[in-house]
Amino acid sequence: MSIPAKILKQVLSRYSSPMTLKYPSGVDPSKKYSQIPEGLRGVPERDAEKCVGCRACFMVCSGRATRIIDLGDKRTISIFLFRCTYCAHCQESCPEEALKMTSKFEFTIGEREDKGAYVDTDLEMLRCKSCNTAFLPKKMEKRVFERLQEKMNPLVKEVVLSDYKKLEGYCPECRRARSTNFDTHTKKWLWLEVK
Amino acid sequence: MGIIDRARVYSPWLYHLHCGGCNGCDIETLAALAPRFDAERFGIQLVASPRHADILVTTGCVPKQFIPMVKRVYEQVPEPKVVVAIGGCACGGSLFYEEEPENYAILGSPDLMIPVDVYVPGCAPKPEQIINGIVQGILKLAAKGSSRKRREV
Repeated sequence: MSIPAKILKQVLSRYSSPMTLKYPSGVDPSKKYSQIPEGLRGVPERDAEKCVGCRACFMVCSGRATRIIDLGDKRTISIFLFRCTYCAHCQESCPEEALKMTSKFEFTIGEREDKGAYVDTDLEMLRCKSCNTAFLPKKMEKRVFERLQEKMNPLVKEVVLSDYKKLEGYCPECRRARSTNFDTHTKKWLWLEVK
Repeated sequence: MGIIDRARVYSPWLYHLHCGGCNGCDIETLAALAPRFDAERFGIQLVASPRHADILVTTGCVPKQFIPMVKRVYEQVPEPKVVVAIGGCACGGSLFYEEEPENYAILGSPDLMIPVDVYVPGCAPKPEQIINGIVQGILKLAAKGSSRKRREV
């Protein structure tokens, strides 16, 4: 910068407004002096209706902030915000697009046990027909069946659906133990070749 | 409320204790004190000694070697005092938190050994959020009241 330009800048700074932002300043992302820039990742928010409890967010959480607590008929998925780094891995991995990063950032919490420090969702669990242990959220079972029907090869549809009805409501361990009694169609790719 | 207590609430002095961590929260804390976000408009001043301070600001997870220093600095701050934990590490251990097996070098959050009054989570928190946290801390400082009463008890 040349010397006259420096002098001009100094003179102009006398007539410009002070640099300090007002507190709290605006929250409109399009404004120049906004608190929220575009694309800011803030507190994650979960849509309780969309969430099926598939544990995908739990598997990818880098800061171990997400926890799954299974208590009998209830599964609670909670994000502990003190440990959350807002990396948005859970948003990327969510198959139902239930998780979303909001632009909310300005919050402080007085105590560790405060409800504001957790993002919780409760889900109902399904119980096994034979051994009566809770093993899967009801919503997830329903959603998995829907997805299966969408992506299934039409040739094997009948066989798969008949098998599904036989296995429905049993936990994975019970299925394994009684695999011979169910009389399901194994090796479905052979069926494809026959037809 | 005496004149000293009123003065304390209107110009709390702040001591910044950096215990471990990646320096991200420290940069944000200093940005909050610098002219653009200017926390000094609330009368806050950064001091070099914990003996002069009213608010203790901690950032970062605490390494096990650093535990005695944190305790000593906390004890040096005169009553009434407020501790503000800034950043995910200082709040809950963040990425350094491990349940089983326990981390051999890092303890986690400072609230395992000193009482923390205000938590400012985020990785790293924005300067506005830090200002918000410090203002909450000032409110708690006002609620804690006089040092003289405590001496009588």
